[in-house]
Amino acid sequence: MLSLYLRLIGARIRSQMQYKLSFWLELVGFALSSGLEFVALAILVGTFHSVGGWSLAEVGVLYGLSSISFGLAEMVSRGFDAPFELMMQRGSFDGVLTRPLGSFFQIMTSEFQLRRLGRSTQGALVFLYACRHLAIHWTLARLILMPLTLLSGMVVYMALIVIGATICFWTIKTPEVINIFTFGGDTLVSYPLSIYNGLIRNIFLWVVPVGFVNYPAALLLLQRSDPYGLPATAAWAAPLVATVFFAAAGLFWRVGVSKYTSTGS
Amino acid sequence: MEFPGSTATGISLLSAVRMPINLRLYYEIAIRAFRRASVYRAAYVAGILTNAFFAALRCFVYLAVYHAGTSVAGFSPNDAITYTWLTQALISIGAGWLAWDLMQTIRSGDVITDLSRPWSFYGYWLSRSLGERCFNLLLRGSVTYLIGFLFFAARLPHLTEALAFVVAIGLALLVSFAYGFIVNLTAFWLIDNTGVMLIANIVLTFFSGFLLPLAFFPPWLRQVALLLPFQAITSLPAEIWLGHLTGAAVWRAFAVQAGWALVLMLLAIRMLHFAMRKVVIQGG
Repeated sequence: MLSLYLRLIGARIRSQMQYKLSFWLELVGFALSSGLEFVALAILVGTFHSVGGWSLAEVGVLYGLSSISFGLAEMVSRGFDAPFELMMQRGSFDGVLTRPLGSFFQIMTSEFQLRRLGRSTQGALVFLYACRHLAIHWTLARLILMPLTLLSGMVVYMALIVIGATICFWTIKTPEVINIFTFGGDTLVSYPLSIYNGLIRNIFLWVVPVGFVNYPAALLLLQRSDPYGLPATAAWAAPLVATVFFAAAGLFWRVGVSKYTSTGS
Repeated sequence: MEFPGSTATGISLLSAVRMPINLRLYYEIAIRAFRRASVYRAAYVAGILTNAFFAALRCFVYLAVYHAGTSVAGFSPNDAITYTWLTQALISIGAGWLAWDLMQTIRSGDVITDLSRPWSFYGYWLSRSLGERCFNLLLRGSVTYLIGFLFFAARLPHLTEALAFVVAIGLALLVSFAYGFIVNLTAFWLIDNTGVMLIANIVLTFFSGFLLPLAFFPPWLRQVALLLPFQAITSLPAEIWLGHLTGAAVWRAFAVQAGWALVLMLLAIRMLHFAMRKVVIQGG
């Protein structure tokens, strides 16, 4: 399965590389988009010196962790986005169902957007810059926590993209509202979760666990405490939370596939 | 009526760029675009929810950075909240992102049909855009703002400010349309201009004051922003709504907007001429 995945993805990357100028322009476009968004955030936090008691460098840790994860998730799972939507509208999902492979796997490999690394790269630069300006005490455990956190974040965002796509089985169109949780979630968790009201905090921690993408890990790295009592050690629970959420999304996908009725002629 | 479409030579295409004075036609195009936009109820409900969510999110950020009673760069906390809801409401007129529909017709080759029709190509897309955006402003924009008014006490302007705002919005629509048209037109040269559109989009949202009021920018960056056309789309109408611009400053804002509307429109039409001479159209 893995070798098949790599083969299919390899083909997608080669096909994108045929249009080199387009590829680089889009990569730069994505990096610049998230870059200028960060500049706006930095100017705002700089003007007011801190947000909810967090300095700009501390916010940079939050921002960097979420951006890296979100960019990676978009890179691997945008097959569930526009290409899948088009498939639903044309009725060509029928073809997917006849092939001897899981539909989830086929849709995921139908697209691989290397250019989304623009966002991740920009996020990584912010994260490194922030770390240089903070006296983070790097222990072995914390070094291990970082890849786990990024991977969990990526899985949470992927699950959201899958959920958005699954709604297509009923509505034929990916609802715009899912942007609230993907793009909106990424923007929301770029600031400390403690600045929001209880409703938003609880939704983004326990219903749509985007808050787990970066907040507990940042608490742990920066040795801060959450004013509402979320322990920093919750950072270690992020992989579990992400797995449960992704499993739920996978289950939802199965229900969607079973409800699929073809469109088209 | 002579229909120059079938031969589609350079000459007949160029004649399509000229502006025939037939306001009735453009009015009908705009009305149809208005009605078309009104049909997609799920789309605008989703749009309102998304805009309201982002506005609320930014308000929480502002509430967290402002300390009670303070005013920063001429913005009180209520100004910042009002500004946020207003700019989210203005997304529907092109403050937040560029429309892609013209680019898609260029990429598919359908553009040739529109070019060969006996109307002004620029006028056709302008009417379409105005019709659609007026609907979005009236429904999507005002409902979004109403939410801000009810839950975050976003400000309502006085009558004179509101009237000036309406004028400013009209001019902003012309500027944002012309900019979008120019960016979409690059598809004639670059078959895949997604990257250019992404970059053009973020430049618009950043320098128009959509992401952050220009008042918060460091002085040198604000100077740059004030030299660019984008403030005419978001920042100037918003400052009028906030009551930050009064008297002569309002007239100056109108002049800046009208100047940019004219310059960008001429540039867009010039570029269209140029595209007609140089370019091979896709499809068949």
